Amino acid sequence: MSSVDLISLRLMLNSLKQYWKKNLSLDFLQELDKKNEYPKKVIDDFYDPNILGVNYLLIPSEFGGIGGNNVAVYQLCEMLGRIDLGIATTAFATFLGCDPIRVGGTPEQNAKWMGRIAAEQMIVAYGATEADAGSDLLNLKTRAKRVEENGKITGYRITGNKQWISNGGVSDLYTILALAPGGASWFIVEKGTEGFSADKHEDKHGIRLSNTTGLALDDVYVPVDHLVGLVEGQGFVQAQAVFGYTRLMVAAMALGVGSEANETAIRYAQQRILAKGPLSEKMGYMHKLIVPHAVNLEAARCFIDRNSKRLDEINEGLQTEGAIAKYFTTEVADNCADDSIQALGGYGYTKDFSPEKLKRDIKIAKIYEGTSEILQMTIQRDRWQEHLKTKGGFYINMAREMDAVHAKNPDVGADSASLCLKGLSAILEVCRTERLTRHQHVTFKIGDLIAKAEVSHSFVIAASQDKLFEGVRFDKETYQAMARVNARETAFNVILDGIKLVTGAGNVDAHALAAQTNLIQIIQKQQQITADMDLLSVKLCEIFNAR
Amino acid sequence: MEIISLIKQVPDSTRVKVDPVTGTLIRAGVPSILNPYDHFALEQAIKLKKEHNAKLTVLSMGPPQAEEVVRLALSLGADRGILLSDRAFAGSDTWATSYTLAQAIRKIGKFDLILAGMMAIDGDTAQTGPGVAQQLRLPQITFCNELKVEGKKLIAKKLIEGGHEIVECIMPVLCTMIMPHEYHPSYPSFMSIYKAQVEKPAELWSLKNIDAEIKLLGLEGSPTRVDKIYPPVSKEKGTMYNGSPSEMVEILIQILKEEEVI
Ligand SMILES: Cc1cc2nc3c(=O)[nH]c(=O)nc-3n(C[C@H](O)[C@H](O)[C@H](O)COP(=O)(O)OP(=O)(O)OC[C@H]3O[C@@H](n4cnc5c(N)ncnc54)[C@H](O)[C@@H]3O)c2cc1C
Ligand SMILES: Cc1cc2nc3c(=O)[nH]c(=O)nc-3n(C[C@H](O)[C@H](O)[C@H](O)COP(=O)(O)OP(=O)(O)OC[C@H]3O[C@@H](n4cnc5c(N)ncnc54)[C@H](O)[C@@H]3O)c2cc1C
Repeated sequence: MSSVDLISLRLMLNSLKQYWKKNLSLDFLQELDKKNEYPKKVIDDFYDPNILGVNYLLIPSEFGGIGGNNVAVYQLCEMLGRIDLGIATTAFATFLGCDPIRVGGTPEQNAKWMGRIAAEQMIVAYGATEADAGSDLLNLKTRAKRVEENGKITGYRITGNKQWISNGGVSDLYTILALAPGGASWFIVEKGTEGFSADKHEDKHGIRLSNTTGLALDDVYVPVDHLVGLVEGQGFVQAQAVFGYTRLMVAAMALGVGSEANETAIRYAQQRILAKGPLSEKMGYMHKLIVPHAVNLEAARCFIDRNSKRLDEINEGLQTEGAIAKYFTTEVADNCADDSIQALGGYGYTKDFSPEKLKRDIKIAKIYEGTSEILQMTIQRDRWQEHLKTKGGFYINMAREMDAVHAKNPDVGADSASLCLKGLSAILEVCRTERLTRHQHVTFKIGDLIAKAEVSHSFVIAASQDKLFEGVRFDKETYQAMARVNARETAFNVILDGIKLVTGAGNVDAHALAAQTNLIQIIQKQQQITADMDLLSVKLCEIFNAR
Repeated sequence: MEIISLIKQVPDSTRVKVDPVTGTLIRAGVPSILNPYDHFALEQAIKLKKEHNAKLTVLSMGPPQAEEVVRLALSLGADRGILLSDRAFAGSDTWATSYTLAQAIRKIGKFDLILAGMMAIDGDTAQTGPGVAQQLRLPQITFCNELKVEGKKLIAKKLIEGGHEIVECIMPVLCTMIMPHEYHPSYPSFMSIYKAQVEKPAELWSLKNIDAEIKLLGLEGSPTRVDKIYPPVSKEKGTMYNGSPSEMVEILIQILKEEEVI
C-alpha cells in the first residue's frame, strides 16, 4: 500500500502542472537552453517543501518524506519529462544518488542521510561513470584506500575522476563508486570535502539546463561510516538492485517527452491548413507521422504502468522489465520527437516550437541509465535463460494467455499477439539449434524483438480489462483499436525481422520457417488496420483538441 | 473565531464545449477544478484564519469525486473538510442546494463567518450564497473582494457599479466573494497534500448526518424547471477595411449610403 492515495497523487500532479504553466514557458526554457544555464531558482522551488517539494515523494515517510509508491513516482516522472527532460534529470539524479543508501545502507545510515536529505532539501548526485567506465563499469579506476588506526579501519582515502555526473557541480551530497580493497563500494561524500571538486559544466546536445560535470577526487578522506552498508565489495550488487525501478522511471520520463511531442503535432495538424484543409484530415500524413507514435506511446505507458504496479507488490527486481520499458519507450519517444519536427515542417525545425528541443533532449534517454544497446543485450541475455530453462515454453505460455484473452474478447488483437509470441519462440529455438547467439548483432536484434513482443502482450491485456487504468485518456473503443493496431504491427514486424535475422545468420530454410511462424496468417490479420488507423486519426484530434 | 467556506467542484469551463446538436455541455475528458471564486474565497478565509487564529471548515455538496476539492482545501490550510454526498441530494437546483447546505451548517453548529464564491462558473446563477444566508436568517454582504475582522465586527469591501462600498456588520454574517482580474490561485506543495491526507481526512456526510426534510431535497425539493439550454448565438464577424484615411472615409460613406443611413 502506498502512503499516497489517488486523490493526493492527482492534487500533487496538478500543483506541479500549475507551477509549470505559470513559471516555465517554452521561451524561458529555450533561453536557459541557449545560455547553457542551470535554473537555480526553479530547482530550489522544486525542492522546497513549502513550494513544490517533488523530491519528498521519493523519500520514505519514516525519514521525513512521503514515500510514494512506484505508480506515483512514475506518474511524477512522466510529468517531469513533459515539462523538461533537463529538469526531470536534475530531480531524478537526486533519487539515483539516494538509491545506494536506500538499498544498501544500514538502518542508521538511512536514518541519518535520508533524514538530512529531507530536512536540508539536499540535492544529490550519483557518481559511477568514468572516462573508461561507462557501459563497462567493471573497468572502474577510482580507488578507496583504507585508513587504519591500531589495526582498525577508521576511514578511506578516495582518489580518481568521475565523468558526466548529473548535478555534479550543484549537489550537496554525492554517492561515489570506488574500488576498495574488498571490491567496488559506494561512499558518501559531502560537498566541500577537502580534495573533492567539480569540473566545468558540459556543453551538451540536449538537456542543457541540467548540470553535468566531471568530478575530481584527490585523496579525499571520508570516515568509515560513510561506506554504504559498512561492508566493502557490495557496490555492483547495490547498483544492480535498483535497475528495475530506475529504468522504469527513465522510461516514464521519456514517455512524457514523447507524449508532449506527439500531442504538439496533433494540435498543430488541426490548425495548419494546406490544400484547402487541415493536415489532420490528410490520412497519409496522420498514418505516417502521428498515429503510429501515439499507439507506441500508449503501449509504452501500459507496460510502465503494469510493471510499476507489479514492483509495488514485490518490492524489488523486474530488471528485465525495467530494461524493456526503458529500451522500448526511449526508442519510441525519440522516433516520435523526430517525426514531430517533420509534422510541423519548417516551423518544427525552428526554436519557436517545442519539437526541436524535445528531439535534442530525448536523445540522452537512450544513453544514460544503460545505453539502448546494453539494454538489448540485457533483455536477450535474461530471456534467453528463460527460453532455455522452460525448453521454449516461456513465450508459448504467454501465447496461451493471449488465446484465453481472445476467446473472451476478440477485439483487442490478442490473436495477433498470440501468433507473435509463438513465432518468437520458434525463432529463438532456431537461434538455439543453429547457435546464432554467438553473433552479437543477433543478440541485439533478439533483445529488440522480445521488447516489442512483450510490450504488445501487456497492451492486449490492458485493453481487455473492464476498466482502463488511471492515466489512460482514451475511451475504451479507441484504446482497443490502439491495442489491435499495435498487436498486428508487432506480430508482422517481429516475425518478419526474426525470419530475416536467422536466415541472414544461419543455415535456415526460410519457407519452412515462414510456415512454422504462421507468417501468412499474421499478414492476413492485417485486415482492417487501415480503418482502425483512420478511426485513431479522428479520435486523437478529438482528445488533443486544438481549441 | 469559526469560519465556514462553501466550495464547489466545477468542470474547467475554459475547456468545456457545447454540443451543437443537443445543446448540452460535453464534459467527457474535461478535468474538474475548484470553482475559481471559491478558491479565492478560500484563500481569504485562510488568511483570516492565520490572522485571528480561527478554525476553518470547508463544506461542499457534490458527487463522491468532489472529495478532491475538499482535500485541496484541506491541503491549502483548512482545518476540517466535509463533503455532503447522497443520492437524495441529486438533481438539486439552487433552492434545494441552499437548503441542504444550510442544514449541514446547522449541524456543524458554531460559526461567525460563512464565505461563498460570488458564483459558480458552471451554473452561473450567483444564488446559492444568498440562498444559504436566507435559510439561516443571516445578514449577507455580496460581491466582496476584501475582508477584515475587528473583534465581533466584519468590515467588507464590496464592489458596486463605478466603485466600491465599505460595509460593516456584526458577525455572524455570510459574504460572497468576487475575485481580482489577474488572479493566480495558489496550490499546495506535495508535503502539504500528504500531511492533509494523513492528518485531516475529509468527512463524508450523507443524508443521515443532517436533519432535513426529504421533500425539500434533490429533484423533488427543486422548484426550478429547465425549459431549454442553448449556447448564445455568436455575433456575426465584423468586416475589416484597410487603406489610407481618405480611402476608408470613402468606403464608410458608401456603406452608410447602401444601408440607407444617409
Ligand atoms: C548528460 C549525461 C548525464 C549523465 N549522468 C550520469 C550520472 O548522473 N551518473 C553517472 O554515473 N553517469 C552518468 N552519465 C553517464 C552515462 O550513464 C554513460 O554515458 C553511459 O552509461 C554510457 O557510457 P559511455 O558514455 O562510456 O559510453 P560507452 O560505454 O563508451 O558506449 C559507446 C557506444 O558503444 C556501445 N557499447 C558499449 N558497450 C558495448 C558492447 N559491449 N558491445 C557493443 N556495443 C557496446 C554503447 O551502446 C554506445 O553506443 C551521464 C551521461 C550523460 C551524457
Ligand atoms: C438554469 C439552471 C438550471 C438548473 N437546473 C438544474 C436541475 O434541474 N437539476 C440539477 O440537478 N441541477 C440544476 N442546476 C444546477 C444547480 O442548481 C446548481 O449547480 C447548484 O445549485 C449551485 O448553483 P450554481 O452552480 O449556480 O452556483 P452559484 O449559486 O453561482 O454558486 C455561488 C456559490 O455558492 C457555493 N456553492 C454552490 N453550490 C455549492 C455546492 N454544491 N456545495 C458547496 N457550495 C456551493 C459556492 O461557494 C459558490 O461559489 C441548474 C443550474 C442552472 C444554471
